[in-house]
Amino acid sequence: MVLFEQVRKVYEDGTVAVDNLDLEIAKGEIAVLIGPSGCGKTTSLKMVNRLEALTSGTITVDGRNINDVDPVKLRRNIGYVVQEVALMPHMSVAENIGTVPRLLGWDHKRISKRVDELLALAKLEPGKYRYRFPEQLSGGQKQRIGVLRALAVDPELILMDEPFGALDPISRENLQNELLDLQKVVKKTIIFVTHDMDEALRMADKVVIMRQGRIEQMGSPDEIQENPKNDFIRGFIGEDRLAQISPDSPVEPLIQEPLLRVKPSVSAAEVLDLMEDEGCETAQVIDSDDRWKGMAMLGLLKRAARKGGAVTNGVRVDRKLFSEDATIRDAAEMLSDQDIPIPVVDEHGSFIGVVSSAGMAKLTISRLTRKGKGGKA
Amino acid sequence: MLVQKPFFELFFSYVMRYWPRILNLTWQHITISSIALAITLAVCIPLGIYLTKNEKLAPYVIGAANVFQTIPSLALLGFLILIFGIGNDNAICALFLYAMLPVLQNTYAGIKSVPQHLVQAARGMGMTEYQILLKVQLPIARPILIAGIRVATVWIIGTATLASAIGGGGLGRLIFSGLASIRNEVVLAGAIPATILALTADQGLKWLQEFYSPKARALRHARKTRSYDQQM
Ligand SMILES: Nc1ncnc2c1ncn2[C@@H]1O[C@H](COP(=O)(O)OP(=O)(O)O)[C@@H](O)[C@H]1O
Ligand SMILES: [Mg+2]
Repeated sequence: MVLFEQVRKVYEDGTVAVDNLDLEIAKGEIAVLIGPSGCGKTTSLKMVNRLEALTSGTITVDGRNINDVDPVKLRRNIGYVVQEVALMPHMSVAENIGTVPRLLGWDHKRISKRVDELLALAKLEPGKYRYRFPEQLSGGQKQRIGVLRALAVDPELILMDEPFGALDPISRENLQNELLDLQKVVKKTIIFVTHDMDEALRMADKVVIMRQGRIEQMGSPDEIQENPKNDFIRGFIGEDRLAQISPDSPVEPLIQEPLLRVKPSVSAAEVLDLMEDEGCETAQVIDSDDRWKGMAMLGLLKRAARKGGAVTNGVRVDRKLFSEDATIRDAAEMLSDQDIPIPVVDEHGSFIGVVSSAGMAKLTISRLTRKGKGGKA
Repeated sequence: MLVQKPFFELFFSYVMRYWPRILNLTWQHITISSIALAITLAVCIPLGIYLTKNEKLAPYVIGAANVFQTIPSLALLGFLILIFGIGNDNAICALFLYAMLPVLQNTYAGIKSVPQHLVQAARGMGMTEYQILLKVQLPIARPILIAGIRVATVWIIGTATLASAIGGGGLGRLIFSGLASIRNEVVLAGAIPATILALTADQGLKWLQEFYSPKARALRHARKTRSYDQQM
């Protein structure tokens, strides 16, 4: 379905983003490109729909060299989902999903029928969601709509660039499952970019591990896990790290980005709004030097907001972990005591991230699945 | 008290007697302002869009508009006598130069404010550059654009009163002749309609700005959803 032959991309500033990439993706397959930041995943994807031009080599989609197809026509026939979701804020859900059908000149009836069909496919009640605006949706709902928009004209090929990267672990897992379920029905060819190995192993028929613009190893999730080619791959799968984890190991592998970071100068009321949008009950207050100024909590914030105060009047500073000596056991005990994220700081008071029960659950699950060598959950 | 009564009597009798002239001058005022505004929009919106595609030029062009805006308006009218002589053409040209900045700047800033990932996504879905402009960039920039147009409109209506100083028409006629003959009732007969015009235009555009605000739009759509559900 998609064939990369000796594809090379050198940006104008001389950066070699993709270096002699050879890759074949079969029809109906989910190929996951994974690798450290800057290894050329996004660039490889954008060359397929000609958002970036190839420096040399060829890409063939469905037997046709993409350079022989008008880029606008090509793009209308390839679904595209990006991490920022990029729903048009001035369009309703229905208008967003109907974007490409409108570009292709479908009539209104056909478009709205298709929109309802797609919403139902994602188990979003059409009557309820059709006229909503992106700002009235949660992060997970937005990204579901982003995926539906890419499916609107039923393209054979869909490109997804870290589609679930900005979501919290729980929504991410839900969307991964939904996409896998959906894929059983729609059977698209999907090129999926991620930097999360767990996600790659769950989603992929074929995992393509990239490093500095080249393919380091490629294979099914099981093959990759059973025969990691070298230490880079092993490190990337995190096999060693996970195998050695015990309750007394450092808390570091559990640390995640918080759902919400705010500056100390923001008002309590604004943070309440943000929390509502994100659907979370805590936010980390971090100044411009990355110093942690406390964890804003819903109850305290409401009180601070009534007095019209800054977010710093609604924070707790006593509940935290120090990255250098905290263990997974410490985190687990704190979480079983009170199930809200625990901020982690270093010895200088700089913010590192949070540990949450979702992260804890995820670690447990990935350990269990790795042990059983079952790639796909 | 004694002083005020005769003044209002004077004012009303002037208005009663000369209302056709006042209406006529108001109409002239509207015409001059509308033409100046139309030229401003026709030039500055496309120019602002062009600048977002040729960013190196932006500081120079916006800088030039800034210079025109900084020249005192009466002085600008004076300079333009050299080119256009006296009359409405001169006035309209001066009003245009004077009002360029807010429209140009807000068009430019509005389009630049559209997040790049939205433009990329639109391109990735197969919109042509023209469709991206029309369906993504301009609608998202609309509130900022209207804010700029609002400022320009009020400036134009206000400054158009000066047009009569160089032989143009409009309500400035009454204001200037009233000032020259020290007849306050005549000054007011020009100043009040000019003020009403400016305030009305301002409110009208403010309404438009609010009409397109995210909140108002969400409300309209909520209503639409409800009526849809009732049909079901
Ligand atoms: N428009 C650009 N101009 C110059 N260099 C770029 C551009 N886009 C990406 N790069 C560089 O190309 C390399 C690969 O980038 P990218 O494909 O975005 O990586 P990834 O998606 O894997 O993080 C990086 O070194 C990045 O800095
Ligand atoms: Mg990327």
